[in-house]
Amino acid sequence: MSIATFLTRTRGNRDTAQPFGVQDFLAYGYLVLGVLIILVPVLWTFFSSIKSEVAVDSFDTRVLPMAQVEAEIDGVGPKPVWIHTAPDGTRTEVFKAGPTRMMTEVARLAAPEDVYEVPRDELAPKEEVRVAVENYLDPLLKRNGQENFHFATYLYNSVFVTVAATLITLLINAMAAFALSKYRFPGRLTFTLLIVATLLIPASIILVSLFFVVWSFGIFGSLWGVIIPAAATPTGVFLLRQYMLTIPDELLEAARMDAASEWRIFWRIIIPLSLPALSVLAILSVIWRWNDFLWPLIVLISDPNKHTLQLGLTQFAGEFNSDFHYILAMTVVTLIPITLVFVWLQRFITTGIATTGLK
Amino acid sequence: MTPAGLLMAALGLFWGLGGTIWLLSHRRYTLRQVPQFFMDLLGFPVELAQSMFGRVGVPYALLLPNMLIFGFFTFLPMILNLYVSMTGGGSIALFDRPFVGFEKYADLFDCETIFSPRTCSNPGYNFWTGMFNTLWFVLIQVPALCVVALLTALVVNQNIRGRGFWRAMFFYPVMLSPVVIANIWNWVLHRKGALNAAIGETREGLSLLAGVAGFDMVMTVLMAVLLLLASERTLRAQDDPSTAWAAVFGLLFALVCGWAAPLSLMGLSGSFWLGVALAGALVWLVSSGHRLARAAVIGAGIVSVLLLLMVQFDAVFDFGRYRPINWLVTPNTGWPFFWLVFVFCWSHMGFYMLILLAGLQAIPRDLYEAAKMDATKPFRAFWRITLPLIMPTLTVVIVLSLIRSFQIFDEVYLLTGGGPGRETFMVVQNIYEVAFAKDIPDYGQAAAGSVLMAIVIAVFTFFQLWITRRQSEL
Repeated sequence: MSIATFLTRTRGNRDTAQPFGVQDFLAYGYLVLGVLIILVPVLWTFFSSIKSEVAVDSFDTRVLPMAQVEAEIDGVGPKPVWIHTAPDGTRTEVFKAGPTRMMTEVARLAAPEDVYEVPRDELAPKEEVRVAVENYLDPLLKRNGQENFHFATYLYNSVFVTVAATLITLLINAMAAFALSKYRFPGRLTFTLLIVATLLIPASIILVSLFFVVWSFGIFGSLWGVIIPAAATPTGVFLLRQYMLTIPDELLEAARMDAASEWRIFWRIIIPLSLPALSVLAILSVIWRWNDFLWPLIVLISDPNKHTLQLGLTQFAGEFNSDFHYILAMTVVTLIPITLVFVWLQRFITTGIATTGLK
Repeated sequence: MTPAGLLMAALGLFWGLGGTIWLLSHRRYTLRQVPQFFMDLLGFPVELAQSMFGRVGVPYALLLPNMLIFGFFTFLPMILNLYVSMTGGGSIALFDRPFVGFEKYADLFDCETIFSPRTCSNPGYNFWTGMFNTLWFVLIQVPALCVVALLTALVVNQNIRGRGFWRAMFFYPVMLSPVVIANIWNWVLHRKGALNAAIGETREGLSLLAGVAGFDMVMTVLMAVLLLLASERTLRAQDDPSTAWAAVFGLLFALVCGWAAPLSLMGLSGSFWLGVALAGALVWLVSSGHRLARAAVIGAGIVSVLLLLMVQFDAVFDFGRYRPINWLVTPNTGWPFFWLVFVFCWSHMGFYMLILLAGLQAIPRDLYEAAKMDATKPFRAFWRITLPLIMPTLTVVIVLSLIRSFQIFDEVYLLTGGGPGRETFMVVQNIYEVAFAKDIPDYGQAAAGSVLMAIVIAVFTFFQLWITRRQSEL
């Protein structure tokens, strides 16, 4: 077997294996390029977020977080350390004793009084790899003395909205789907058509008057104002209905023989049997609620204690719009929960959405 | 407390307290059945309906909560929109608002010609600028998104390793929230950001490389060898040239064409795009099994040899100093708009790819095997088998992405804020700003805008469904 055959063969025995042809190279090339386009911005944001403030502000494009070393000098205080490379190649560690000019006054670390002048371009910063933890800790521990990133509050609000909305969505959509799939009653077609019609009404069209409705219900400005209006989803009803149609009616009849009430049939038979469809809907609902932006922006913006993570991050980025090191760090913090969930459940999520294939 | 809030409280009290009393008086629960009791309490209205009307009442009770929310938070606002759009003033109490008839619509249509928003009144200018920007966005975005998603789905659907991994990677941006996406891309597209740095360094590197003595000689020989290999591979098969190798050959041809710049002899630019067009034509000829395909490949080979002989690499690679572009802020360049389309594709493509992938996997394998038996070209198989069978799924994807891109707000608002000037100002942002971000909110104006937008979306959707009705029946 030649080396080329060895390198380019794929799975299977000698007869069935397809050689690794140019088509495969093109396919993998395309995929690798696509994944790079997707991952590089995210990873770049992460690597930038652990750089020191100076490095971020000067748009250092090296991957590793390099920071200039500081040294405590007797009688002067902490000073950044520079390396002076003399024309003959000797290197000495110095600090700047005066302003930076063509000829800069420097002094050796060991002898701070002995000031002498060197050309500016012979000085280079002495750098070390240092993870700038303060980018994360300052806003989270409220150490920078300004209106801060209340991560715990935002996370609590986001989680509360997501979990409550998902639970309500699951319950009422399952009830509606049960009614539409397992009962024959006058008006079934009308209800089905009404639900189809809501598929065609995008949320941003009814923004203004939804605001009036939510206001008059008295839930404007509270988390419930975000949870309730989006709780009934047409997608969810159809997804669950399609699934419940496959549950045999005999099971229901048997339960009715045992004098179970309809609600108990729903709770004890239908819900456990449609768990796969319910979990897909749960995932979809979590993605929608967690990433929701426009409606929470309208309802919750006036009260900082009610901000979700998305709103909090927007406000934070608006306030600190020159402090990129804080914004990047908080972006990474916001990104972490959903990324962990995704890494944990990715196979389940992708196959679930692919099998239902709607919205 | 508002009347509606009072109603909610009363309903809750009835449910909780009334339900407890009713359940305890009708059924017996032991201590171990406490969870059972709460489960029954949750479904108390259903139980009540069953005991009052028998099984006939149950489906209505089951549908009630869902339909209540749909009614109050979807249908009622839809109708209220019409009412609000005919009232003026800034009052939040619905019935304090003075009725003004069609005044708000008249404001929007107060133009000399609708097709140039500059001639409109102030609200009309904002609205129509947003509307036309959104229409442009949709017209560019939807085809781009669908083509990229279909292409990616086709590639992932190939016989490749680690399909789950690729699928998950492409889906990952869908999980990210718009704020995070905006912050990430803001950082990358900053004037001193990673993208400008990368482009600058690449250009410097290329200029440096081209300056090295003998570089053009080496490159010429290298390209010649590569072209020779690719064309030999393309023509190797006995009956018909191979499509994949023709694609590689076409790519090389386009590169050579771009470097040699034949059009610059006539003082024109854009040689690279000429090369891309020629390469595309070549690939199309080969993949559709045209009888001139062999001749075309040989002809392209001869042309590329001629091109290689006139290449002067160091002149081509001398880019000069790169001036960083402020991608999201520079007006009249089209870059802000381009990056919006790109970021939107970046963040939504994975979702549509998954749906298309599911559609592709539902196509029976036998069809492709039958096509292979008949020695069908891959291009023809795609055109005659894949495309017709994926059409229903593709229609769903087009309709969904159309509705979604019409409503684009988050990414634009956070990335460019509608700027520079009004270049990326979208219609939803107009509605949001008129109603919620101004000092004096004008709800009537915003509602009138929403009604017009609803009409445009409806027209688009039905037009689209009407065009594809034949395919979706398949």
